Parts: sequence; C-alpha cells; structure tokens
Amino acid sequence: MGKDGTHARSAPELRVQLGPLSLKNPVLTASGTFGYGQEFSDFLDLARLGAVVVKGISLEPRPGNPPPRVTETPAGMLNAIGLENVGVERFLAEKLPSLRRRNATVIVNILGNSEQEYAALAERLEDAEGIAALEVNISCPNVKEGGIAFGTDPKTAARVTEAVRQKTHRPLIVKLSPNVTDIGLIARAVEAAGADIISCINTVSGMAVDVFSRRPKLANVLGGLSGPAIKPVALRCVYQVVHAVSCPVIGIGGIQTALDALEFLLVGASAVQVGTANLVRPTAAVEVLDGLERFLRHQGLASVQEYIGTLDTTCRLPQAEEACAGDG
Amino acid sequence: MPKTQEKARLLETRRVAEDTHRIALYAPRITATARPGQFVMVRITSEGTDPLLNRPFSFHRIHKDDGLFEILFRVVGRGTWLLSQRKEGETLEVIGPLGNFFTLPPAHEETVALVAGGIGIAPMEEWGHRLAQWARGDEARRVYLFYGARTASEVVPTRRLERKGVTTFISTDDGTLGRCGTALDLLDQTCRDLSIRPQRLYSCGPLAMQAAVATWARQQNLPAVMSLESVMACGIGACLGCALPAVPPDDSSRIHYVHVCKEGPVFDSRKILWEKMEPMPVRPLSFVCS
Ligand SMILES: Cc1cc2nc3c(=O)[nH]c(=O)nc-3n(C[C@H](O)[C@H](O)[C@H](O)COP(=O)(O)OP(=O)(O)OC[C@H]3O[C@@H](n4cnc5c(N)ncnc54)[C@H](O)[C@@H]3O)c2cc1C
Ligand SMILES: Cc1cc2nc3c(=O)[nH]c(=O)nc-3n(C[C@H](O)[C@H](O)[C@H](O)COP(=O)(O)O)c2cc1C
Ligand code: FES
Repeated sequence: MGKDGTHARSAPELRVQLGPLSLKNPVLTASGTFGYGQEFSDFLDLARLGAVVVKGISLEPRPGNPPPRVTETPAGMLNAIGLENVGVERFLAEKLPSLRRRNATVIVNILGNSEQEYAALAERLEDAEGIAALEVNISCPNVKEGGIAFGTDPKTAARVTEAVRQKTHRPLIVKLSPNVTDIGLIARAVEAAGADIISCINTVSGMAVDVFSRRPKLANVLGGLSGPAIKPVALRCVYQVVHAVSCPVIGIGGIQTALDALEFLLVGASAVQVGTANLVRPTAAVEVLDGLERFLRHQGLASVQEYIGTLDTTCRLPQAEEACAGDG
Repeated sequence: MPKTQEKARLLETRRVAEDTHRIALYAPRITATARPGQFVMVRITSEGTDPLLNRPFSFHRIHKDDGLFEILFRVVGRGTWLLSQRKEGETLEVIGPLGNFFTLPPAHEETVALVAGGIGIAPMEEWGHRLAQWARGDEARRVYLFYGARTASEVVPTRRLERKGVTTFISTDDGTLGRCGTALDLLDQTCRDLSIRPQRLYSCGPLAMQAAVATWARQQNLPAVMSLESVMACGIGACLGCALPAVPPDDSSRIHYVHVCKEGPVFDSRKILWEKMEPMPVRPLSFVCS
C-alpha cells in the first residue's frame, strides 16, 4: 500500500537508464560470483536479470592463486582467487555465445596489468556482438603486480579509464575499490576521464589466520572481504560517490535480500549487483528482483526510479557546528 | 543432470560413532539423479548469516525409491556442530547433486579395493554398495574395503557393506580395533598377507592418507581413483575457490589447477600435484563448540 493507502495497479516499471545503458531492471550479478552465467542456468532464467556481469577477463588466461583461496569469516568470506579466468579468446569463443543463447544481457568485466592491456582488451571486445557494457576492474586487491595500483591513485585510475574510453563506444563502467582514503576523489577522476557509470565496491582488503597451525587461512595471506559484513562500508562508499559525481552509480556489497538492495537505491545507486549471496543461494539475484517488485507495489510506487536517491538526511535536531561525521 | 536447490526434510538423525552423525534427508528431486561420489551443499542455518557459506557433504547412501539420501559427517567445526544439533522434522536447504562421480571399473578388471580413512568412509558406503552389485555380475569379481580410523570409538559400523559381500578390513591408529596402523598400512599388509592383488583403488580420506595411497598406487602401478576435498564457497563452479594444484593437460610445467566442485571431487590420483597440496588445518574440538 502507498502512503495514501492505494495499491499500484499495473506492475511497477523496473527499467532503469544509466547514462547510455538501458537495463530492464536494476538487479545485476557481481563479477566473480556468477561464473560465466551458465553455472546458474539450472537455477534461474538468466534473461530475467538486469545484466550478468561475468568473471573478470584478461588478455591471456590466468591460472589464479594457489589454494586455499577462500575462507569464511563472520557474516562474510575472504577470497584470493587471483583473477583466474579463461582469457578473452576463450571467453569470446565459448562463454559469450552460451550467454547469448540464454538471452542474457552481458556486461564484461575486464582487468589487466597495464594501461595497454586494458586498452587491448577493450579493442578486442569492441566488435563482438551481445555485450551491453564493459566494467573495468581497477580495484581487485588480489594480484600482486596488477589491479591495486590503478584503483588507489586518482591519476592511474584516470589513465586506465581514458585508455579504455579511447577504444570503446560501449557504455563504460569503472568499478572502484573501497581500499582508498577518499573514494570520492577517485570517482571524480574516472568520471572526468570518460566513465559513463561507476560501480562500487569491490572487496575490502582483509586477512584471517589460524592460531593452531600458525598459518594464514589464505595461501595469498591477504584476501578480499565480501558478503553481509561489508554492507555498511559499501553503503557509505556509494553515498560518497553519489555525492561526488553526476554519473549514475551501481551499488555493490553485501546484498542478500531485496531490502539490502533497496538501501543502495535509497542512497542513490541506480542499480545494484548481487555478489557473494549467489554463492550461498544460486537463486539470490532473482529473489532480490522479485522482492524489489513486491516492495514497490507495497509502497504504491509506479517505478523504481521514483525510489532511487530519495534518502532524507535532513537533521531534525540542532547540531553543534563542529560535530564530525558520526564516528563516536 | 540438472542441479537443484531443494528444501529437504530431515527424516532421521543418528549418532553412529564418536562425533559422527548420519542424517537422512527427504529430497526427491536431488535424489532422483544422485550418483555415488557426488556431493551436496547444505545450508546450515536457514536464517541469518552465521555460518554464511554452505557446507559440502558426499552422498553416503542413496535411496532412489524413497526419494531420500543420507549424509555421514564428523563434527570438526562450527558448521558441522550446528548441523549435528538439527532435529528430525526440520527442513534444510540443500543444493545438488554436484560434481562428478565414481565410474565402474573397465571390463577386464576383477578385483578392486576401497580405501577409507576416518570420515572418508562417507562416500564409500554407497559406492561399495554399487560395486557389490557389479561383483555379483561375475563370479571372479571381488570388492575389498580397507578402513582406517583413529580409535575404536570413531569407527563407523560397516555391517551393511559386509552383508552385501564387500570383504572388510579395519585398522585403528591406536590398535583399539582391528590392526594397529593407518589405512595404508592395513592395505599394504593385508594385500601381502592374503595375496590380494587389487587392480584399482577407490580412496577417500585426509590429505596425508590420500597422498600416501597415491604414492603406493604409483609404486604398484595401479590406478587410484580419489575423492578429494578443498575449502568451498559455492560448490557449483562459480567462485573458483576450490582449486587444487594439478598436472596440466599438456604435461607442461605451467601452473594448473583443477576445481574440486567442477572437475571433481573424484580424480585420478596421477593428475594431482601432491607435493603442492596444503593440508587443511585441524582445530581441537574443545575450542570449536560448546
Ligand atoms: C566434496 C566434499 C565432500 C565432503 N564430504 C564430507 C562428508 O561426507 N562427511 C564429512 O564429515 N565431511 C565432508 N566434507 C568435509 C566437510 O565439508 C567439512 O568438514 C565441513 O565443511 C566443515 O565445516 P565446519 O563449519 O564444521 O568447520 P570449520 O572449520 O568451522 O569450517 C570453516 C570453513 O572451512 C571449510 N572446511 C573446513 N574443513 C573442511 C574440509 N575438511 N573440507 C572442506 N572444507 C572444509 C568449511 O566449509 C568452512 O568454509 C566434504 C568436503 C568436500 C569438499
Ligand atoms: C569469489 C569472488 C571473486 C570475485 N572476482 C571478481 C572479479 O573477477 N572482478 C571484480 O571486479 N570483482 C570480483 N569480485 C568482487 C565482487 O564482484 C563484489 O564487488 C564484492 O564481492 C562485493 O559484493 P558482495 O559483498 O555482494 O559479494 C569477486 C568477489 C568474490 C567473492
Ligand atoms: S566451490 Fe566455488 S567453484 Fe568450486
């Protein structure tokens, strides 16, 4: 029911427009948590999703890190997969056709160790049919010689964005890392360099050890934290990025349910990606989608757009001028 | 074989040895296509986020006609402890059947041996059962089980397999039941003493045992088919978390990994790079659950 006690008659409009990218609904799957889509086709109809963001693709295949690569932590998990992937050629030959057969909207997540690699990837993907957008991973903390440097410095982040921008006409999403001092600064830099959309967050750098064996729980020692544990951090980042840039933002981090997704939409994300939840419940993304629709009906809203960015942060009590941002 | 997510009803739960439990789950869709060697991912808690990830368990028994299967598990941490507290009549969310499966020996082989260490007995029961049926098809066929546990109280009863015609030998590390020694000692000694010449091994157990069995099989020039473990997040090939170091298909020296939930859990032991394997840390139970 709406505030005035009415139900929306027709199905709420779920379509969202993110700059040049039009999506049938705002629920996407996050890179690395949904394989190449086909792993989930027994469980759900890929065509229902706003988009499938595939596992990060590099120019050459990568074997990934030695095991153990994953470990559970309170309300989350750490991973150091090491960006294992089949490489762009096999992706184009095998994975993309399979996604297209299933009528999935495909977003290709790309990664590299140099600006040239990112650019070459964008170029290689430019002619392939059935790719709705590119998502540039400048933020993965796992691979020692790559990733990290681009995402943590506004200058290198901008350079990678520019390098890809020059090679692609497709909608360009740049995915940010939370492991920085000022995410707004990076966001502004990549927007200025030509990003159409910003997605955030990638995993939060973390660590786990075993006190009995006195060994790290991941062979890589450090890993990326994901899952419900990071949702407040993700929400804060999305909030800051939304206020730093004027391009649309995709919220990622700890989304398990429709209500989690709505929190991100509320602070201003135009779409969301479901990540770790897919690993626990393969049907998680469509459950989020169904729940979202139910919520909009319940609230009497005609479209999801009406809800996006409607967070009311006005302070209802007088505040001391020098009060700082709520850290105690 | 489609993978299914199913709300399974917990029909029966039974403690069968120290810290070892067997539960029967009514899940007709998963059971319909389940094969020995495959596994399921079990959601420990239906509410909340602790523990977050599902836990993998092998099919221990498959009852096609009744639409149910059983799992056998040892309490080793928080997830398995919580699972042991679940009651009959409750529901558990389960995903399966997952991974590859055991396949019957080639036509010219007549004698096969199952090797199980500790909770590695879990998948061997259903597979032993199938092999016993296989053996009934030909007078000359023999199936042996070599089962090692730490101590007598941890030995899971094997009567069901013996009744089906699987000749069973048992050892314990401390000699409290059967021969004193490991499953491999048992296999090696018994084969010598009784002139048993297995043509193929099927094995499941802790890493150290699996590595030793792999070496033994190589020395004897026998194929060893192994059900292996790794830490898993998804169980369905999506996260790439369950990698094990393996021999690359082209036998080159490049780094190569196989994924236990996708290419496994059943592997030819010669395909695994044993010297690169990292053992799973073991935590004393008294620090895990109370
Ligand atoms: C294919 C496969 C089949 C299995 N079949 C059985 C079975 O039939 N019976 C049985 O008792 N056990 C089986 N295991 C092992 C079982 O999954 C672990 O004992 C269980 O996950 C431990 O969870 P926990 O929360 O109690 O332990 P914790 O130590 O609290 O677990 C923490 C994390 O480590 C992982 N983990 C810990 N030990 C293992 C392990 N040995 N193998 C894999 N992951 C582990 C857990 O999944 C979890 O993510 C199997 C494992 C695999 C991979
Ligand atoms: C196992 C795993 C693999 C991942 N691989 C990638 C990747 O290849 N590229 C990327 O940009 N992000 C990757 N991520 C990060 C996720 O896409 C997502 O940003 C992060 O997990 C936070 O969302 P979540 O809490 O919903 O999982 C990976 C995450 C996990 C858990
Ligand atoms: S456990 Fe996720 S790929 Fe195997």
